Amino acid sequence: MSYRRSGAGIVIILMIIAVFGAQAKDAKNAPPSEKIPSGAKVFVAPIADGFDTFLKDAVAKKKVPVELVASRDQADYEISGTAESQKAGAAKKIIFGNWHSREEASITVSNIKSGEVVWAYSVHEEASTHGKRSSAEACAKHLKEAIESK
Amino acid sequence: MQSKTRFVSLLLIALTVSFATYSARAWSQAEDKSAQGQSTAEAKAASDIKSAPSDEGQLATVNNAKIPAYAKIYVAPMPGGFENYIIAGLRNKKVPLTVMVDRSKAEYEISGVSESEKAGWAKMLFIGSQQSNEQASIKVSDLKTGAIIFGYSVHKGNSVRGRQSAGEACAKHLKQVVID
Repeated sequence: MSYRRSGAGIVIILMIIAVFGAQAKDAKNAPPSEKIPSGAKVFVAPIADGFDTFLKDAVAKKKVPVELVASRDQADYEISGTAESQKAGAAKKIIFGNWHSREEASITVSNIKSGEVVWAYSVHEEASTHGKRSSAEACAKHLKEAIESK
Repeated sequence: MQSKTRFVSLLLIALTVSFATYSARAWSQAEDKSAQGQSTAEAKAASDIKSAPSDEGQLATVNNAKIPAYAKIYVAPMPGGFENYIIAGLRNKKVPLTVMVDRSKAEYEISGVSESEKAGWAKMLFIGSQQSNEQASIKVSDLKTGAIIFGYSVHKGNSVRGRQSAGEACAKHLKQVVID
């Protein structure tokens, strides 16, 4: 009788281990469920050509529901990226009659604690009316949409 | 009596020498076989790299390797900050991967090179195009085994959206080897 009990106990323990093992395996490749919460503390890392300054301004202008902090230690999320601006050359002005600059930027928002990239966006404007300001505002607008849509 | 002992000792020496020769030959044959097997395996691995032409680039997969969905991937820094465009492309093309900022937490790594050339006055004048010339090449490696499991290169003579287009092309083709 005692053998039967101990046998059943071993079977139950093995089943529990199997269930938890399967859950752990699933959790390893689970889809990222993290969203940027409204009011999250965000640090904007320095970006080439001072694009971070334009981005901070755009975040405020577009009323993105995040709190910008000056120090990375105080932040929950970090915005990093790259940007490139090219002024219209003589050929572009003469042949196409276009004085506007060419703007390119790409930003990523990552969770500082988990190290996971939670959002990313890239923008390209062949003839940007307001230069870097336009591309920064595009980034901010889409970030706002991403936060508010969740 | 003495001759009998000498005969036995000679026989023993002959047996020992023949045994030693045989074992040495067998050892060298085994080494040759293993070397042949290794070279065959290498040749097989090289033949398993399949190249498939796509609309604007070349894609290569090794042994039809696949990346599990939501695997943790790290995108290494590339010239001109192209890694940011790849991450944005992965999100835009809805590639089911989790991008990590920390390499030590990742299972796979994307590394590569990219080059962007703006349209010059001659291109604008003769072709009437002000779009840039983009080229990029990426590879995905398994950080545990060190094996390269995916490679892709893209070239766009007139990229409508510059590096963004190249980054999205890389992401689109990477999606093909991710098991959803």
